[in-house]
Amino acid sequence: MNPFLKEYKKILWQLCFAWFFILMLTITLKYSSFDSNVAFLQIKQTEVNSIPPYLFIFYMHVCSGIFSLLAGFTQFNNRILTNKKGVHKVMGKLYVVIVLLLAAPSGFFIGLFANGGLYAKISFVVLAVLWFYFTLKAFLEIKKRNILMHKKWMLRSFALAFSAITLRLWKVILVYLFHPAPMDVYQVIAWLGWVPNLLVIEYYIFKTQNK
Amino acid sequence: MKKAVFLLMLIVFFSCKKETPVVADSIVKTDTNLALYGNWVGDFVVVDSDSLADETDFMYTNKINLVIKKIEKNKVYGQSIVAGNSRPLLGEITMVNGKPCFILKEPGDRKDDGRFEFAFFNDTIEGKWLVNNKKYPVWERKFKLTKQVFKYNPKLMLPEDGDYIDWFSGRTDSIAPPDEEAQYSEVFRSASDIITKLNASTTLLNESDLKNLKKLELEIIRNTIFARHGYTFKKKSFRQFFDPVDWYIPVTDDMSGKLTLIEQKNIVLLNRFQKYAEDNYDSFGR
Repeated sequence: MNPFLKEYKKILWQLCFAWFFILMLTITLKYSSFDSNVAFLQIKQTEVNSIPPYLFIFYMHVCSGIFSLLAGFTQFNNRILTNKKGVHKVMGKLYVVIVLLLAAPSGFFIGLFANGGLYAKISFVVLAVLWFYFTLKAFLEIKKRNILMHKKWMLRSFALAFSAITLRLWKVILVYLFHPAPMDVYQVIAWLGWVPNLLVIEYYIFKTQNK
Repeated sequence: MKKAVFLLMLIVFFSCKKETPVVADSIVKTDTNLALYGNWVGDFVVVDSDSLADETDFMYTNKINLVIKKIEKNKVYGQSIVAGNSRPLLGEITMVNGKPCFILKEPGDRKDDGRFEFAFFNDTIEGKWLVNNKKYPVWERKFKLTKQVFKYNPKLMLPEDGDYIDWFSGRTDSIAPPDEEAQYSEVFRSASDIITKLNASTTLLNESDLKNLKKLELEIIRNTIFARHGYTFKKKSFRQFFDPVDWYIPVTDDMSGKLTLIEQKNIVLLNRFQKYAEDNYDSFGR
């Protein structure tokens, strides 16, 4: 591919990601009051009132989740990877700590009480487990200085982190097209949010490996 | 001494009060009018309107309740309750060819006030309403009303055979291309039959009951509570679902103190879910 075009495509991707990051940030900021009855929590009062740790763990997920997305700006940028290794390391450590200690375990817990019934719950719980596992694998690989394997696992890990965006994007699309009942769409996006991401990234890994 | 005088006055005062049942005798005398008292309910249909007015400004048909409260000699006291308005009526009754005929006037301090002219035939009242001020788009409506007794019944539900489509707040963005016939079922919101099954007056609802409901369904379930109490709706998008229902009689524009504890709690929950649906249903988020 023409190197100019390749650069142009990268910038486009970055802009696109930045746009969605800002959207995610505005969603996060809705919770800045730490209110127990705000935004999504408006329909989660049963859990808030009957499961004591729910509110705390929910906020743990909201607050940490946004930081995991920051990795999208720095960690897959070749210029940073080659010229600013320090930035990559700092951001990488931040991502690993955030995911393994905060975002994935809290995601697992709130996934147990997810809307949309049993199948949606299974989806979110599996998502949390895989996200934790992929991130841990990537971390262990780089400890062994195995960059190739580290990259593969991190791509998988971030594909799942990115499901925060794709899940919400699918929702907008499905609601626009079909006007389904809210929990009907929720059951679908619970899976549609991350399974295609993983398939796409597996395909990408497969393609780049055989180059 | 002062105290004694005061006490005496009090006794006199209360004994006067006790005499009021004697006054009631005069009401008993008007027994002949008893058949006229009550809620007269039916369609209130436009006959004449400002041809230049925007037709979306008013409804062609509304359900009206014309209440005749009291007749003293030839003086008539009543109330008209229609489309979110409850207006006191004052007028006269005259006998024309042995039939009671009425002219009742709304207070006249609003631009949509007017007068009712109607006659009583056996079990119906029939007549017309004329607006005072022709700046108001609707100039004349006709009606033929039958007497109905209003009684709050929490078990009443919207009929199952109805089509619950919101014809008024439809989306303007048609899915079909302009040259093809518009797909109305896609463009207008419709409610599922859950609204004929979920009773928010008799059962305390919880979050799981409401999670899968759309905004329109939440709105209808909440308004059905009000409809059972005979609330008259200002919004035509609300009236469209209740005006055609046989049991629905608009009797009041004031809900204060009428809702049961279950209903109050359910309304809080329904409002919360409705707000969530408004803010989040079609936006980027959960």
